[in-house]
Amino acid sequence: MLDTTTIPLAVLLFPGGLFALAFGLALKGLDRRVAARLQGRVGPPLAQPFFDLVKLARKRTMVPDIAAEPVFLGTPLIGAVSMLLAAALVPIPGVYAPNPLLGDLLVLLYLLAVPAVVLMIAGSASGSPFGAIGFSREMALMLAYEGPLVLVVAAVALRVGSFSLSDIVAYQQTHGAFLFDPVMWPALLAFLAFYPANLGIVPFDIPEAETEVLEGPLLEYSGPALGLFKMMSALKAVVVLGLGVALFLPLAPDGPAGLAVHLAKLVVLMLVGVTLLRVSMGRMRIDQAFAFFLKWPLALSVLSLAIVALA
Amino acid sequence: MSNFTIPVGPLHVALEEPMYFRIDVHGETVNNVTITAGHVHRGVEYLITKRNVFQNVVLTERICSLCSNSHPQAYSMAIEQIAGIRIPARAEYLRAIADEIKRVASHLFNVGVLAHLVGFESLFMHVMEVRERMQDVKESIFGNRMDIGANTIGGVRYDIDPERIGYLREQLAALVPEVDEIIEIYRTDSSILRRTRGIGVLSYDDAIDCGVVGPVARAAGIEYDVRVKAPYAAYDRLDVPVHVLKDGDVWSRAMIRLMEARTAIDLIHQCLDGLPDGPTVAMDERPAIPPGEAIAKCEAPRGELIYYVRMTDSPKPERVKWRVPSFLNWDALGIMLRQAKVSDIAIIVNSIDPCISCTER
Repeated sequence: MLDTTTIPLAVLLFPGGLFALAFGLALKGLDRRVAARLQGRVGPPLAQPFFDLVKLARKRTMVPDIAAEPVFLGTPLIGAVSMLLAAALVPIPGVYAPNPLLGDLLVLLYLLAVPAVVLMIAGSASGSPFGAIGFSREMALMLAYEGPLVLVVAAVALRVGSFSLSDIVAYQQTHGAFLFDPVMWPALLAFLAFYPANLGIVPFDIPEAETEVLEGPLLEYSGPALGLFKMMSALKAVVVLGLGVALFLPLAPDGPAGLAVHLAKLVVLMLVGVTLLRVSMGRMRIDQAFAFFLKWPLALSVLSLAIVALA
Repeated sequence: MSNFTIPVGPLHVALEEPMYFRIDVHGETVNNVTITAGHVHRGVEYLITKRNVFQNVVLTERICSLCSNSHPQAYSMAIEQIAGIRIPARAEYLRAIADEIKRVASHLFNVGVLAHLVGFESLFMHVMEVRERMQDVKESIFGNRMDIGANTIGGVRYDIDPERIGYLREQLAALVPEVDEIIEIYRTDSSILRRTRGIGVLSYDDAIDCGVVGPVARAAGIEYDVRVKAPYAAYDRLDVPVHVLKDGDVWSRAMIRLMEARTAIDLIHQCLDGLPDGPTVAMDERPAIPPGEAIAKCEAPRGELIYYVRMTDSPKPERVKWRVPSFLNWDALGIMLRQAKVSDIAIIVNSIDPCISCTER
């Protein structure tokens, strides 16, 4: 394993920073293209998310008169930076292990909560009633999915005996991936329900639902500030999917082949867990999504923690 | 939970036309709805008195795009009544065919938009793709995809030869399994059911009080269809089943529309089977329209459409007034939206299939 990457390089260039951003945008482009094909449309070019970002960067950010300007402009920045840091915390098995100085799984969990919090604050700072509805929905949804996530992570950490992602990866490389371990299946299922909600796609795109609250918190955003939110969302896809790979299937050869395998896994997770899911159903109402998370993923994650503790 | 006011419209991504609802919400629940109209007033009622009766066939067609066959049809029926014109039997069948083709396209459009509003984009795309077949039919038979120009005073402006009948039957045969599949999806898909069952309920009593018409009334258990109660065109010779459901929710209204779209296909087949020979217009020359007044009504896709026309000695009508189905159904929105969730507002509004350009003209 290469362990020589310095922290600034990891955050700004690889595996976080530019690399994660480019790959995240490519994943989004692929998602849009494949979804379009599944719906019988041609779809945008694969590079459309890049074009969108360039376009937004060249525009002006309008700040509504009633918005709290420092908060309104500060939140997208905080969100994007938090995801840049998080991207450097996710290991790429066989290629990159995060420096322990940067933080471990617990830090990653906190960073993962930042985008949702940032969107909530941005929504209320924008002064728009749709932003306010987005705020309350985002909060309800976050309360619903954060619990199962923490329990899933706790189950994995308990099994391995460490909160370090490097240890979790190393453990599975010697003992076999958790994907093939029936004891870990409840945790896996709970995670599979968590990540579409965290990535904010149908059926869980409730806080931003276009036909209901007109993109909610993002309604008033434009120009580079909106671009930062798009960056945050692209980076989050890489982080969340990368976390899934690290928790459940971190088996990969060393060197460039390992990187290719890792990226392939992310593409599969994106297409199966995001694209297929969002083209095959409609949106839930917030109370339905909340009830769903309290019923299934929470129960599964509690069960998983219990059986790991007993095993 | 805080109280605030949100504007829905006049320009809103979820609404197809400009309408404005001021909604007072408490958290996610609607407390009070103020409906404001008047954003697309074009003065058509005034304009219609400035043109002669024949020019007005073209004008009435442009009142609304989705009911663009029902308006000129009801208008022509009223004028024919004043002039005492009896249209040929073939024209009566051709009017019914045009009516039903427009009905299929209109109902599928509304049901498709419902899928879009619940965030089920794939289903929306699929329904619109199926509807595209009806658009092709309209283009092939009438020459236009929306304003089909089928009606004229004294008959119809189009005729179908055996080749076009063959084409029409072929397209309808291909449409039947597709519509059946869509009905099955709306009946069973959990994404659709969980967002539409028990939402925007209009009880039988409320429906009677509001005087709602069309699919909105039939979904609330009122068995009323102009095609059966007061047959026009060829409908007295056709077997028109009236679909009725009891629940009065968004899902029932969507199902009524789907079943009517399916029935419309059968009705077109019946028309083609019974299509008599003969002329398509009653007279070769444009008749003089005597003074008088008349009321005519027909079943537009959204419900009962009533036309009142008064003629004097002038070739221009002195007054034309029409009452559109959306005007009645619109009022019932106040009841349907009571205590609704913010997420369901657009779904409920769409469920009455509001036609603002008809209503505000």
